[in-house]
Amino acid sequence: MSIENFPDAFDSTVDTGLEWLSDNGSGLFDAINDVLKGAYESLLWLFNLTPYYVVAVLIALLGWRLAGLRFAIIALIGMLFCAFIGLWPETMGTLALVVVATLLALLVAIPLGVLAGLLPRLDRIIEPALDLVQTMPPYIYLLPAIALLGYGTGTALLATFVVALPPAFCLTSLGIRMTPNEFIELGNASGVTGWQMFLKIRLPFAMPSIMAGINQSLMMAFGMVVIAGIVGSGGLGETIYSAIRTLDIAKSINGAIAIVILTMVLDRLAQGAATAQEGKRL
Amino acid sequence: MTTTTSDVNDVLVSCESVWKIFGENSAEAMKAVVERGLTKKQILQDYSCVVGVSGVNLEVRRGEIFCIMGLSGSGKSTLIRLLNKLITPSSGKVRVKGRELSSLSAAELRAVRARQIGMVFQSVALLPHRTVLENTAFGLEVQGVPKAERFKIAEAALVKVGLGDWIKRYPDELSGGMQQRVGLARALAADPEIILMDEPFSALDPLIRRQLQDEFRQLTKELGKSAVFITHDLDEAIRLGDRIAIMKDGMIIQVGTAEDIVLNPADDYVAEFVAGISRLHLVKAKSVMTPVALYKVAHPNVDVSRLPITSPDADLDQVIGLAVVNDRDAIAVAEEGVVCGVITLRDLLRGVQGTANEYAPAAGQPLTEVSS
Repeated sequence: MSIENFPDAFDSTVDTGLEWLSDNGSGLFDAINDVLKGAYESLLWLFNLTPYYVVAVLIALLGWRLAGLRFAIIALIGMLFCAFIGLWPETMGTLALVVVATLLALLVAIPLGVLAGLLPRLDRIIEPALDLVQTMPPYIYLLPAIALLGYGTGTALLATFVVALPPAFCLTSLGIRMTPNEFIELGNASGVTGWQMFLKIRLPFAMPSIMAGINQSLMMAFGMVVIAGIVGSGGLGETIYSAIRTLDIAKSINGAIAIVILTMVLDRLAQGAATAQEGKRL
Repeated sequence: MTTTTSDVNDVLVSCESVWKIFGENSAEAMKAVVERGLTKKQILQDYSCVVGVSGVNLEVRRGEIFCIMGLSGSGKSTLIRLLNKLITPSSGKVRVKGRELSSLSAAELRAVRARQIGMVFQSVALLPHRTVLENTAFGLEVQGVPKAERFKIAEAALVKVGLGDWIKRYPDELSGGMQQRVGLARALAADPEIILMDEPFSALDPLIRRQLQDEFRQLTKELGKSAVFITHDLDEAIRLGDRIAIMKDGMIIQVGTAEDIVLNPADDYVAEFVAGISRLHLVKAKSVMTPVALYKVAHPNVDVSRLPITSPDADLDQVIGLAVVNDRDAIAVAEEGVVCGVITLRDLLRGVQGTANEYAPAAGQPLTEVSS
């Protein structure tokens, strides 16, 4: 094989590989797509069923409980602003994407993180892999996803899921591993079982780290969901992408403002939940 | 100090030639020790293993406070962790109430730790997200005692250590001394027979430390507990311990009462340690007295029965007080009305220096045998 032919040969190898995957794994990928889309669509249906002012007030009330009155007022004004600039359905679309992708990521990342925290050997395998995931530009994950799941929400969700996975995993594993030794000794000297050691000693100490991981995963998901506009994710990302393509600067800026508002609201809510957790001292 | 009520034959915790070697090659290093008797230094060189505890034998009797005194690196913290198997020995046997720890299943070991052998740590290790009451009830919670009951027991334990008004507080609201009391209450709440104290008072300021030492001793005796108390402070060991073991380089070099150790140090190391310790409250009249017969030879004209009288267990401080008040240069030591020895000024001064009378009965021997 000469060097000139190499790019073509390499391309066709990758093509064959992906083809093989989609041929043999089509059932699996369809299932993944269905689950992702199903979760997203039901949540979106729920959001769209509720009038915008009700959703805004609910978010404000939640904000009041978790982060105080001042934040609640700002959140209310911000959410209503999203509606008044005519981007309410898109905002809800983005919210649903972020929530679904983050929840799915947490569902995998936290139990896995706990296991890795308890089993250093498992951690040594998973952590480098996820470090690699974090090192690469998030954009990359759209490519294999689109090849396997096709253009649309499923791809956006899968890529977002992948990007949201590492922070929650790493910080959960770290939190579980970092239990101060004297408390491990206390547990053992008191005659705890393995399960009690986890629930009563390791988990409480890991909680702040886990909450930080959740918050970071949420923020990563936000970043990805906007980028995923180019694969037809729906929501604000797609609005901005198509507005830029048609040079509709005003609309793209409106979309950006809505994203900023939504990000800040969710970030503060997640932080508020974390502090409330600590303030309660479990 | 109250006199010890421990029973020599009632051993709660014992170690039988217990070794702990740390390091990757510890198994081989242990083998080398058994087969070739390598020293600590050789093991470090040949196997890059550290000897933590080296051939320790000890017995802790029911009702006594057994102090293990040593400087940092002497292996005392390792030794105490061998007693509840937080650290597994490389060789040798550790028994708690006659059962060898290494023969127990995981569940049996948990039961022993939960019910028979409590532990108090230097770092206190109070869970920061739990109230004082919840921390104190931790051991009972682990054992599955119902909430209402364990809180009742925990509150009673907190009242015992003088923290009855603090049960709803969090650890970070308490001073260091109070936190350590919570640690003690937590150990007491599970009602173990033996309490392991790992330098619990080392980080406290001197006044609080003395106060806690006295309270601890009183409480332990009142509740009839036995304790193993680790310290690097000889004064603390003397204040607390019914018996004291001195550790150096992983070995126990002497075990005895405070008086034994001060009067008859096993080697220069111990002698240097005890050099600065005041003898006034340690040395007993019976250890410095001259037998009556010998006294009579030197002082034929003195009527022994007319001297001021003290008891064999009176300490030097009391004897000096008696001599000063009566303005006499000799004090008779009498047990149940029979004079068994005489303390002259020379005996007294030598006692203050830390030298026993060469003719006094050895520890454990009857006093009257000497006088006859």
